[in-house]
Amino acid sequence: MDFEPTEGQRQLRLQARALAARFDDAYWRQCDAGHTFPWDFYQAFAEAGWLGIAIPPEHGGAGLGITEASILLEEVAASGAAMNGATALHLTIFGLNPVVRHGSDDLKRRVLPEAAAGRLHVAFGVTEPTAGSDTPSITTFAHRDGDNFRIRGQKVWTSKAKESSKVLLLARTTPLADSPRRTEGMTLFLANLDPNHVTIREIDKLGRHAVDSNEVFYDDLPVEARDVVGEVGRGFYHLLDGLNPERILIAAEALGTGRAALRKAVAYAKERVVFGRPIGQNQGIQFPLADSYAKLQTVELLIRKAGWLYDNGQPCGAEANMAKYLAAEWGFEAADRALQVHGGFGYAREFDVERYWREVRVMKIAPITQEMILNYLGQHELGLPRSY
Amino acid sequence: MNIIVCVKQIPDPETPSSSFKVDEAAKKVIPAQGIAPVVNPFDPQATEAALRLNEADGGGKVTVISLGAESARDAIKHALAMGADEGVLLNDPSFDGIDNFQTAVALAKAIQKVGEFDLILMGRSAADWDMGVVPSGVGQLLGVPVVSVAKAIEKNGGSVKVERVLDDGFQTVEAPLPAIVSVSNEFGEPRYPQLRQIMLAAKKTVQIWSAADIGLGAEETGAANRWLPLEALYVPKVESNVEIIEGDSPEEKARNLAQKLRAAKLI
Ligand SMILES: Cc1cc2nc3c(=O)[nH]c(=O)nc-3n(C[C@H](O)[C@H](O)[C@H](O)COP(=O)(O)OP(=O)(O)OC[C@H]3O[C@@H](n4cnc5c(N)ncnc54)[C@H](O)[C@@H]3O)c2cc1C
Ligand SMILES: Cc1cc2nc3c(=O)[nH]c(=O)nc-3n(C[C@H](O)[C@H](O)[C@H](O)COP(=O)(O)OP(=O)(O)OC[C@H]3O[C@@H](n4cnc5c(N)ncnc54)[C@H](O)[C@@H]3O)c2cc1C
Repeated sequence: MDFEPTEGQRQLRLQARALAARFDDAYWRQCDAGHTFPWDFYQAFAEAGWLGIAIPPEHGGAGLGITEASILLEEVAASGAAMNGATALHLTIFGLNPVVRHGSDDLKRRVLPEAAAGRLHVAFGVTEPTAGSDTPSITTFAHRDGDNFRIRGQKVWTSKAKESSKVLLLARTTPLADSPRRTEGMTLFLANLDPNHVTIREIDKLGRHAVDSNEVFYDDLPVEARDVVGEVGRGFYHLLDGLNPERILIAAEALGTGRAALRKAVAYAKERVVFGRPIGQNQGIQFPLADSYAKLQTVELLIRKAGWLYDNGQPCGAEANMAKYLAAEWGFEAADRALQVHGGFGYAREFDVERYWREVRVMKIAPITQEMILNYLGQHELGLPRSY
Repeated sequence: MNIIVCVKQIPDPETPSSSFKVDEAAKKVIPAQGIAPVVNPFDPQATEAALRLNEADGGGKVTVISLGAESARDAIKHALAMGADEGVLLNDPSFDGIDNFQTAVALAKAIQKVGEFDLILMGRSAADWDMGVVPSGVGQLLGVPVVSVAKAIEKNGGSVKVERVLDDGFQTVEAPLPAIVSVSNEFGEPRYPQLRQIMLAAKKTVQIWSAADIGLGAEETGAANRWLPLEALYVPKVESNVEIIEGDSPEEKARNLAQKLRAAKLI
């Protein structure tokens, strides 16, 4: 058993931290308040080649693993960029995983180098108003149109759709009722977000305002056959392959955001004097922070294990899910405690912890809810009867 | 050109004051818990200058030298990730607590051991002690001209043309090669390493030279042999009090403020 990161992983962490540090809390506060996409930040990471971290070298990427990508996203979040920063990058990093694994050579050639260079933005359209946790119930439908398709339906929560020119879109090609299994009959498309056939409406949400999430309406959007990712009817399975790495990266982002909050809380607890002593001298303040520190260190180990399993081609479903579950719980808990430690100032925008708190909260819901992870663990790890 | 760049690892200047502590008895800065040391901010600018000069020249070699703890390897790796070719770490227990003059002696010996060089670049000063004497010290010891606080450097045949930053403008000077130039922040943003270069740099080995490897005698190194004995080291107490300036109108408040500042000899 070797807990030592490689020299490459260590250097990558230092460099990701240094680059992210160029964009301070004031920058993120402004992006969040103005609902503006962090273009300067995005360009800096794109130009230095970070977006292609997990894209194979033959397609313009660096060909590194999920372990390295998780270190990058943890450091981005921990810089104070939190989810505003992490989401701006991570759609390129793991959103394209199904294309890397199942796309035709032609599709990979057209898409991956552009994405790795940061010029092509791809959103991820799976969730629908009536199908979130229950993906097979989606109703967005791709009708045959000669060799090609026309897509009709509605998605919700499609993040970054306003900045993206393409969307990785899951649609039914066989109605649920006619599919041999619920998970069959869905197809994954890399579709153009053509404004003639697509309407995007931004959702007003709790936080992570620098990156939009949207309702997206598809009105007979034409998609060429060459833009099908993998096999027609197998889209759900192609997506599944990307879920474990996504969970590992999300966990790393929650960990990073928790660490950003804890760092602020500790600094404040040392400085703030109430009743003649620094508040951090009170066990009522000190113990929750120490407890969060221990939890965040622990979840880092689980993230590393899940990443190691994935990068070594081993099954990692349980570890990836548990890492996401605990990182979301403990990352949010750390942010909540940081807010509390700041007293009234925790509630003020200029102290930033309320921003971390709003942003890390979403990790308990997206991309998969905590409850669905417990369902998975109960059923697949503990062998309990399926509850739903 | 064969260019040598000297880089230093320092405590993070962004360390919050609540975490900055010194051990007054040992006369040492206590490393802040959980805050990693960083590359001296002027040094990547020196590395940037070296890379740009060789890019303009169509080739050459950049060797990076750092004197410091084992962790200073990261400062060297940063320069390698930017595009430098080789790195040397001067690391020896006797380097603990030495002063800037002793550092200059060690660097000069290491530079002689590297051998061929056309140009030596350094940061204008290190942001920890902020003394800025090492470039001049090394220049004196090697017997080469030193040009300090550069904002632009250009190779001109067998010499370098340097724009120096002055308080009220800048000055252009020329020095024959080999020479030492210290680089200022006015030089401009250093490049951020490319991910691929970072991974390549991680694989490169950094040579480690001890005091004996560079022929440094026991009397030349060690805190006991400092040229500049350190008498005391402490964090100054900062006291602040707040005074609200009264006045019926903004103009009157401004006038009262100006008078106060003048009385306090601040303006
Ligand atoms: C900020 C944000 C960004 C997002 N970005 C994207 C994106 O880019 N692309 C995309 O496709 N989607 C995106 N999503 C959607 C996200 O993936 C879904 O919100 C998530 O999968 C949950 O689905 P739902 O919202 O429909 O909740 P529902 O499925 O309606 O669940 C509601 C509640 O019921 C619980 N529940 C449901 N079924 C069970 C059960 N069997 N047992 C126990 N409890 C259950 C859930 O856990 C949850 O608490 C985003 C969401 C947010 C908030
Ligand atoms: C939205 C909002 C509206 C407000 N409106 C008003 C208003 O109308 N009028 C007004 O006067 N004030 C108002 N306040 C201020 C509010 O009453 C204070 O924020 C609150 O009393 C906490 O004080 P503080 O912010 O100075 O926190 P601090 O006293 O600095 O406390 C910081 C943290 O340290 C903890 N702590 C401190 N001492 C100890 C100890 N001995 N043991 C354990 N823990 C300790 C605290 O519990 C807290 O978690 C408002 C605040 C907010 C956020």
